[in-house]
Amino acid sequence: MNILEIRGLTKKFQDFVAVDDMNLAVADGEIFGFLGANGAGKSTTINMIASLLRMTGGEIRLLGKDITKHPRHAKMNIGLVPQDLAIYEELSAYENVKFFAGLYGLRGRLLEERTLEALEFVGLGDKIKGLPRHFSGGMKRRLNIACAIAHRPKLIIMDEPTVGIDPHSRNYILQSVKKLNEMGCTIIYTSHYMEEVEEICTRIAIIDHGKIIADGTKEELKSIITDTKEIWITVKEAPEGIADALARIGGVNHVLREENRIRIVSRGEVNNLSEILRLLLDAQVDIRAVEEKAPDLETVFLTLTGRNLRD
Amino acid sequence: MHLWNIAIKEIRLDVRDPRTLIFMLLFPIVLMLILGTALSGAFSGNVKVGELSLLYKSELGEPLAIYWDEFVQGLEREGVRVAEAAPDADGRERVRSGEFAAYAEVHDGGIRFFGSAQNSLESSIVEGMLAAFADRVNLAGAVLMHAPDRIGAIAIGEDQGQAAGGIAIETGLDPDRKPGAMDYFGIVMTTMIALYASVSASNLMRGERVRKTALRLSAAPVSKWDIFAGKVLGCTVINATCLLLVFLFSKYAFQVYWGEHTGVALLVLLSEVILAVSLGLGCGYLFPDKGAIAVLMIFIQLASMFGGAYFPIDMAGGGWLSKVAQLSPLYWVNSGMMELIYNEEMRKALLVSGANLAIAAILLGFSAVIMRKREAI
Repeated sequence: MNILEIRGLTKKFQDFVAVDDMNLAVADGEIFGFLGANGAGKSTTINMIASLLRMTGGEIRLLGKDITKHPRHAKMNIGLVPQDLAIYEELSAYENVKFFAGLYGLRGRLLEERTLEALEFVGLGDKIKGLPRHFSGGMKRRLNIACAIAHRPKLIIMDEPTVGIDPHSRNYILQSVKKLNEMGCTIIYTSHYMEEVEEICTRIAIIDHGKIIADGTKEELKSIITDTKEIWITVKEAPEGIADALARIGGVNHVLREENRIRIVSRGEVNNLSEILRLLLDAQVDIRAVEEKAPDLETVFLTLTGRNLRD
Repeated sequence: MHLWNIAIKEIRLDVRDPRTLIFMLLFPIVLMLILGTALSGAFSGNVKVGELSLLYKSELGEPLAIYWDEFVQGLEREGVRVAEAAPDADGRERVRSGEFAAYAEVHDGGIRFFGSAQNSLESSIVEGMLAAFADRVNLAGAVLMHAPDRIGAIAIGEDQGQAAGGIAIETGLDPDRKPGAMDYFGIVMTTMIALYASVSASNLMRGERVRKTALRLSAAPVSKWDIFAGKVLGCTVINATCLLLVFLFSKYAFQVYWGEHTGVALLVLLSEVILAVSLGLGCGYLFPDKGAIAVLMIFIQLASMFGGAYFPIDMAGGGWLSKVAQLSPLYWVNSGMMELIYNEEMRKALLVSGANLAIAAILLGFSAVIMRKREAI
């Protein structure tokens, strides 16, 4: 059964089309990943699902009900973890979670129990009286999550929940997401970190310029580029114009020039490594390392869009 | 239920913000102390005596009417401007407007006197003159009854006996009660600080947007109306509470005289807080970012200056200053308060409260319409 169905979803900001005729279905119990570069339309899409933005066109159905006709039903069943921290620094962790949980109709003892449960779940059980202004970035992110889950929503939307935090907190959050899913929550997870999406998501949609350009499991997405290989060449400095020169070599699909790395996506059956290295040596590029990588989601993104996921 | 939760959250946030305590409590108390003690000289000592003027209505029969006419002529020779009111006119209004320093209703049973709190010195002098007249008439009456052959010996200024029946002066106002420096600044600082509630109100919605908590509030199954009403209620309660504390401190620590109708005085203050909150909320929607605070601070300073927060605006002198002052909401509030406290006249105070609430309703309605049109709060 699909917990969420999106048909023909469109959002325009004057002349700019942020989401363009999107169609999507999220099954109950999935961890559904939205993968895309900044400005692709991920946040706009989930803001419309969470009823924070009005749709220009299309329909969104949550648990079979149109969210514009049944807004209260939709809001009661969604928990939102926004990209920016949305907590009150002057209220304690407990007061924050209790306040937001109270907005979902929880009262009395049930409210207190769910509040403590949410704080325990995110690992802040011993910090309930602490003020967020004294928390680390990772702890604030965890509190941000606790505020969204106390009322036990059926669908949790997490918009880049690990931005700007340390690896330990990131791992904690990713493990928490998996645990929430095991407890029966469906999760929509947006990120521009491919590694996170690959680790936890059961199904992934790649978004670019407001459209879904591919969706499926990790394996299904990678199978789009089975005939592709990715070559990473670490250099001291990648000169201007080298990307254009490399792109003219036979079999090369895309070339991305980073500060001290050149990434080449090439057809798998074409043996062009020697030619690539010869060109770089002739250009007197100081080569430090050469690595051939198996295609990943970032390669898929690069192949489909011609751009880097982190652009 | 959501409304109360949001209001309580708002109160909690404000109580834990040290700026609230400093600005809404410490600031007015310190100003009261400084201005009330430093400027005490301006409220006592040598003062310029303005024009002495008396409006009267006479219902005297013979022979008192003759004595009264002579007394009036005597007053005019002394430089007092005297005029008789029309039979159906209410002379008190002309005293309130500053046209006359005093108004007297003279009849066979006595003199009913109404003096001006704004021109208290002048009205006290005129009252004294009337008291002297009444004393003379009483004395003459007593002598006629008991020693008629001595009536010729009565001369103005010879006898200083107490009036005993016959003619009595009823004062509608307490001529001994006029504001000292601490009384004055205790009242005006309290009314001024109520206006500063607009500054915290201007940040009610913007604060949620800056903190990004507006997203959560909008995503929750809570109506915009609950969010709006809850935040307005919370802001009003915390500011009204701070104002009450300032009021109590001024009354009991600084002994500021708040009159005999403190309930009405508190009603005026509450209405002013509601007006300030609605004004701040409206400005918060009209001006982006921190523009609202800048606009409000300028407005409050001008309103305070022209409203008499830093020095009394003398209405009797007229002039452009007093005309501009009438545009200040603080002027209306302070005038209403002074009338209530020193003239025991509730009408103006109640009118001011009503006007504050009416304007607040308009501003709140305006803010509610803007909020409804926005996608978020």
